Amino acid sequence: MTALTRRNLGLASGMAAAVALSAGAMIAFSASAAPAAEPGQPAPDFTGMTATGEQVSLSDFAGKTVILEWTNDGCPFVQKHYADPPQNMQGLQDRAGEDDIVWLQVISSAPGTQGHVDGNRAIEINDGRHASPTHVILDPSGDIGRLYEAKTTPHMFVIEPDSDIAYAGAIDSIPSSRVSDIETAENYVTAALDALEAGETVQTSWAAPYGCSVKYE
Amino acid sequence: MMKFVFPFLFALIAAPALAPLQAQPVDGGHARVELISERETAIPGETVWFGLSFEMDDEWHIYWKNAGDAGIPPRAYWDDQTTMDAEAIGEIDWPLPELLPVVEGEIMDYGYSGEIVLPFPVQIPESATGPVRLGGEIDYLICKDICIPESVDLAVTLDVGPQQVPDRENGARIADALGDVPVQFSGETSLTADGESWILSAAGGELVGVSGETRFFPDGHEIVHATPQPVKFGEQGVAIELTPVRAGMPEALTGLIRVAVDGAKPVAVRISASEGDLLPGTSGLGSSGGNGAAIGGGAGGLPTSPSNGSGGINFFLLISSALLGGLILNLMPCVLPVLSIKAIGMVQVAASGERSELRKHGLWYTAGVLISFAVTGLVFIALRAAGQFVSLGFQLQYPAVVAALALIMVVIGLWLLGVVNIGTSVQNVGSGLAGRQGSAGAFFTGVLAAVVGAPCVGPFVVGALGAVLNEPWPVVMAVFLMLGLGLAMPFLVLSYVPGLHKSLPKPGLWMERLKQAFAFPMFLTAAWLITVLGNHPAAGATAFGAVILAFGVWLVSVAGGRLRSGIVAVGAALVLVGIVWPVASGLQEAPATSGAAASYAAAYEPEPWSPARVEELIGEERGIFVDFTASWCATCQVNKRTTLKREDVLQAMEDANVTFLVADFTRPNDEISDELKRRGSPGVPMYLLYAPGKPEPEILPTLLNPGMLKRKLEAF
Repeated sequence: MTALTRRNLGLASGMAAAVALSAGAMIAFSASAAPAAEPGQPAPDFTGMTATGEQVSLSDFAGKTVILEWTNDGCPFVQKHYADPPQNMQGLQDRAGEDDIVWLQVISSAPGTQGHVDGNRAIEINDGRHASPTHVILDPSGDIGRLYEAKTTPHMFVIEPDSDIAYAGAIDSIPSSRVSDIETAENYVTAALDALEAGETVQTSWAAPYGCSVKYE
Repeated sequence: MMKFVFPFLFALIAAPALAPLQAQPVDGGHARVELISERETAIPGETVWFGLSFEMDDEWHIYWKNAGDAGIPPRAYWDDQTTMDAEAIGEIDWPLPELLPVVEGEIMDYGYSGEIVLPFPVQIPESATGPVRLGGEIDYLICKDICIPESVDLAVTLDVGPQQVPDRENGARIADALGDVPVQFSGETSLTADGESWILSAAGGELVGVSGETRFFPDGHEIVHATPQPVKFGEQGVAIELTPVRAGMPEALTGLIRVAVDGAKPVAVRISASEGDLLPGTSGLGSSGGNGAAIGGGAGGLPTSPSNGSGGINFFLLISSALLGGLILNLMPCVLPVLSIKAIGMVQVAASGERSELRKHGLWYTAGVLISFAVTGLVFIALRAAGQFVSLGFQLQYPAVVAALALIMVVIGLWLLGVVNIGTSVQNVGSGLAGRQGSAGAFFTGVLAAVVGAPCVGPFVVGALGAVLNEPWPVVMAVFLMLGLGLAMPFLVLSYVPGLHKSLPKPGLWMERLKQAFAFPMFLTAAWLITVLGNHPAAGATAFGAVILAFGVWLVSVAGGRLRSGIVAVGAALVLVGIVWPVASGLQEAPATSGAAASYAAAYEPEPWSPARVEELIGEERGIFVDFTASWCATCQVNKRTTLKREDVLQAMEDANVTFLVADFTRPNDEISDELKRRGSPGVPMYLLYAPGKPEPEILPTLLNPGMLKRKLEAF
């Protein structure tokens, strides 16, 4: 036994070399980091408080198409799409209602910033402009906005029923605050919904969003 | 009388409308905007520079042609009274913009504040004989913390004549603005993938010898605007690290590189970079964290660490998570058997009452662990420096290594069972563990803990190690050493706690049984390693070799009596065979197909991937699905189970006439590692889906789900 003890050190140094190689085994178990909220990736689940005081999660709506709309009623670009006429955003919301598509309006403005409202005021604003989202989610901490990397208002996401993001980005193709540009622009949300309905691939799955920056803390 | 009054009054009112309209600034709300020109009189057919001048309220800003994350640039809607055609009015030549951070690290915009003139060229019509007018609505978004879209009506009229008459004041303002427009870069640029980042290197021309606050302003949205851009300076130019939005390099990345210069105008160039190798001469003279002031480098050649400011915080996080990971490693099933040995050893030393021994053992143990991790770190760095594509799990690509590891696990298992006695022995209760024997044992135990801990590393460590893939070698070493320290810490601390020897349990038979029980996890690990070899000949050799080895070791350990030396010789020979045979067979060439490919459903035979085959299939207008996988990659196996081996998914592939190709990375393969690098993937798995006839594939997420894949296939 004493003889073998001396061999310890030899074995130990041999083993030390082996460690270098076995370290790879641990690395082999790494999975890639969770992907960001991008078209083609699964939409990250979240839970939020609505303007009416309920708690809803994205996973509550499994099996349905879900649209996320980041909004801020003081932002001129949001006002452009809610302008009456032509009621661009309201029209999309009406279509969603008819087609059993869930519309979640998200307000990520931090307290004290433009667009930040409480539940009652949010409902009041929507009533005033005849908007009809399924729920308004109040996200003053900005957690849901950051989860989706929402940058502007408006910033639109169309989520397929099996929970992949089919479209993320601008609402339409002309970045401006002019209401007159709405009719000549291509509406990417409409295009995505049409494609999903027809069972085709969405042609444009991403377009650079335009609008006011989301008023995070 | 009235006959004269009326025309006179008319003339009075009309006069201002008839005189050449000089540009007057119009207040849009938060900016005074003017349309100016370098001429008062122009020659027909000549190109004249005009400018949109903005004088903004304090802290308000307008946007560059690429506003960044949020915003839109100013836009002109020329009216019907404009003499020139739309084609004659050129695009704005944008002066160098500023960075406008809106939310630190999250939302970044590019634009202008204070006063700015945006110049643009206009061609005066050849046929012009009288005054020409340029006018219309100028819409611009102006923001502070909120944004206001303002609009002004502007117009400017120029006389036309045989001779130019300059407008000196406005001409000077336009000339200044044109001086702020970045020049076309006269040197070379290159865009290189570096793990998950891109390095934009620019050498020669205007960037020779520059250093200062550096920034790349992209024309588009290929990179994340809000992340810092660490930069390195060299004799020939700069190398800027960019964060891409998604993997897959563009044909050409265009934009501006700006380097600030103390006390003078910044150097600003317009570049277009395509994929290529890192340009030489773009590092070695200093670096900057990308958030603030540059750090000047020393004289020549020494690579400096790129971390300061936010980079420094990252380093701290990195090593703390490595330390944490090492600590957690103590709880992992792999390490537990070895720790039991250590604990038993401590119990014995504590029983003998010699506290100084306990401390010495604690230190030797720590030394064993640290040295082992240091060696691992060195091998990792060496391979990376040798240009090897060091992907995660690379070590397990070498069958000889896998074979050796399996054998080591078997030997350890045998030792735990008591078949083999090496190092600290349970039977040695009270026989004086002082001296070299005990210390060597403690060192050896430390090394052992590091070896067996490897397969069981948890989430913190994986995160830390993933991050070190691209860091310079001192950072890599630091992370590996912190891992080791974390692993060794509990025992190190315990061995220094006074009075510990009183609270540890007394040695007894229970220790022996526990030790034996832990042999079996070792054997399981050996078995798993053998399966990793797939159908490589080394698999069989290792399985048999392990048994031979075990027998040989047992022989040596029980040899006694007169035949002792003979038995030891036979035993030693068997041990040698048991080790050499599997390792040697591991060094052989792998067979053409290995385990990974064979693990697919027999119903759908996947083909091996090759770029040539892909070309062929694209030509045939057939869709292609490529699975970059390896038998040692756990995520790949998960995806196979959830998606790729499912009947309905394979059926969907067949229905869509999609060919399933497998790129097996279980063994090192240059072609595959090149493709992984090209697509910006740090390793396997990677899934590519080519639509029929399309040369560029869609890179699917690394976690597949059957619904998503089927939907994409159905669309073909």
